[in-house]
Amino acid sequence: MTQVSVTPESFEMVFYDAAVIGEVVAEVAERLGFEETITLEIDERSPLGRSKITSYDPIELWVDGGALENTKRPRQFGTARARDTIGRLLLRILDRRSGRFNETPDDDELDLMQFAAWDVHCVGRLERLGIGGQRQRRLYQFRNRHGFSDVADAAFEQLWDSSELSWTEIERISGDCRTA
Amino acid sequence: MRKIFPAEELARDGRFIRQTNEQRMGDPRGARIAGGNSGDRLAKLTPELANGPDRARALMHGIFVGEIQALEGAGRTCWDFEVGEDVPLELKLDMARQCWDEARHCEISVALAEHMGTELGEYAENALLYEAACNPDPVLRLTGVNRALEGLAIDVFNTMKEFGNMAGDPVLEFCEDWMLADEVTHVKMGSDWLRRLTENDKERLDKALEFQKVVDRLFSFNGFRGEEDDSPIQLTRRFRELAGFSDDEIDEIADMSREARVEASS
Amino acid sequence: MTETKRPREPFAPWDRRALPGLFDVDETAKRVGHYKWVELKLFEALGGWVATVPELDVKMRLGTHCYHHAWHADLFDKRLPELREMKTDRLTLPANDHMVAFIDAMTEPEEAAMTIEKLVGVYRVLIPHKIAAYTYHRNATSEITDMPTVRILDFILQDEFNDWREGEMLIQSMIETEEELDRAMIHQTKLEKLMLAAGGIAGPGSIGDPYVEIPEEN
Ligand SMILES: [Fe+2]
Ligand SMILES: [Fe+2]
Repeated sequence: MTQVSVTPESFEMVFYDAAVIGEVVAEVAERLGFEETITLEIDERSPLGRSKITSYDPIELWVDGGALENTKRPRQFGTARARDTIGRLLLRILDRRSGRFNETPDDDELDLMQFAAWDVHCVGRLERLGIGGQRQRRLYQFRNRHGFSDVADAAFEQLWDSSELSWTEIERISGDCRTA
Repeated sequence: MRKIFPAEELARDGRFIRQTNEQRMGDPRGARIAGGNSGDRLAKLTPELANGPDRARALMHGIFVGEIQALEGAGRTCWDFEVGEDVPLELKLDMARQCWDEARHCEISVALAEHMGTELGEYAENALLYEAACNPDPVLRLTGVNRALEGLAIDVFNTMKEFGNMAGDPVLEFCEDWMLADEVTHVKMGSDWLRRLTENDKERLDKALEFQKVVDRLFSFNGFRGEEDDSPIQLTRRFRELAGFSDDEIDEIADMSREARVEASS
Repeated sequence: MTETKRPREPFAPWDRRALPGLFDVDETAKRVGHYKWVELKLFEALGGWVATVPELDVKMRLGTHCYHHAWHADLFDKRLPELREMKTDRLTLPANDHMVAFIDAMTEPEEAAMTIEKLVGVYRVLIPHKIAAYTYHRNATSEITDMPTVRILDFILQDEFNDWREGEMLIQSMIETEEELDRAMIHQTKLEKLMLAAGGIAGPGSIGDPYVEIPEEN
């Protein structure tokens, strides 16, 4: 079983349980084929939904408390939301380790369009694995970055439906919307 | 059916989860507002923000439940008061008209939720808007709801319309444009009835304006709605003027927001 | 060139409207006052119920229909001064105490679980009776002297038919068990009895009297 270390161990501002969070992260990690230890740091003060990979090896993740929250019940942990957040981060790690993403700029150098395009490719795959979803939400985000047009929608379909794109292909699909 | 139907009993299907005011105000991270929490320094809502589209989605869901409550509130005003004894027939006719408008706004919001990828009930609902619509004095009710809350709706819809425009989202911009037109009409109804019903009753006028201020203040956490460049929701002078607000009144709301902002940052 | 001096009939051959009508001005005003009272009570109830029904589609339909009936009340209200009643409130009255009892019973259900009863009262009892009374009035009044009322009733009837259809479909979609069907029928019967006692929305004679007196045999 994947070892997950969650900080903080207990929460003051939200009703989260570090053990439950650890289980959800481990479950997603195993589904994606990870066996190594994962460290997850949560900023419980922030209800926003940001998340990032602070280290690829060893795996260290950082998230806003809001990125794991059940939006229907503020301050409560949301399993589906957590799976989506963690799944996207872990898939990005897998992508970068695959050799298909060697030319990818560092995470903080990616612009909103690039991020949105990669995200679509991640969430499409997660949905097929039964981990994430919200296709229309991702389409809306993608359209905000790539335009409300047929070209953008076709690009979205391609990113969502493909199983193993390389960074160059993602860049090309996203870039085609820019030129269109 | 009773007169004055309590907010706690508003009927919803199983998708909707109600957040009480205690829960909302008791969130140590700040109460949720404008698609974010008041504890954060929320930037102006634009598509350029990394979380812009998601905040717009959350805000749109807030608008959707607000539309349901506005519909319910206007409906209750048709029922809670007697023609002649409490209110003139024309006031109720206005409220019935508002019911239809708010029902259409619900329909528009449902379509927008689908467009933005939001499930109905995806976010918690609080009943603050409907609570203002429970005031037993029709003048106070209309002032609190139609002038304070629908006034806020003008600001929110205009912000969302601009968001749609900046993002190049023709659906959002189109919808907000139409809803904005209706809301200006509703605020004007509030302004007109306040003037007509308090023409010879200074005391009631003062009470109503005070209630409006209380409601306005409730929605001024952190001064999130204001005239500063980075106010998440922009105060909309032009449409408020159309809706019967005087310059002084608009200045007062702007000041209130500024004070709330200073208070929050100190 | 059109020949301008050639006389034509004042009523074109296809215009068969007749002068006589069953109602004089006073009777018309009285009926219109009853109609207005009913429309008023109906839109108030629909507005009040919006907050009490959990079904989203029903909630939005009630809000929409609320305005339709408010508009009808307004049309009748504006017609009254044209019928020599300047103080319109004076004629904004229920036809009789049974009609008051009917509205009281129709508006009684409040619980969230009683949407079927709310809809049945409006769409299976009140609106069909309104359609009947308005149709009778529309067909029995003079199409020449009382055309303003006919025109109003035509607009209103169009709303009533559309709203009745939507309401009936909502009811059909909500009745899924025999028990729910019984609830609908029991409530309908209860309200129909009150309406029977009232004699229709404008009282006895709301839809005229179709029976003929049999002359005594020699
Ligand atoms: Fe609205
Ligand atoms: Fe409104």
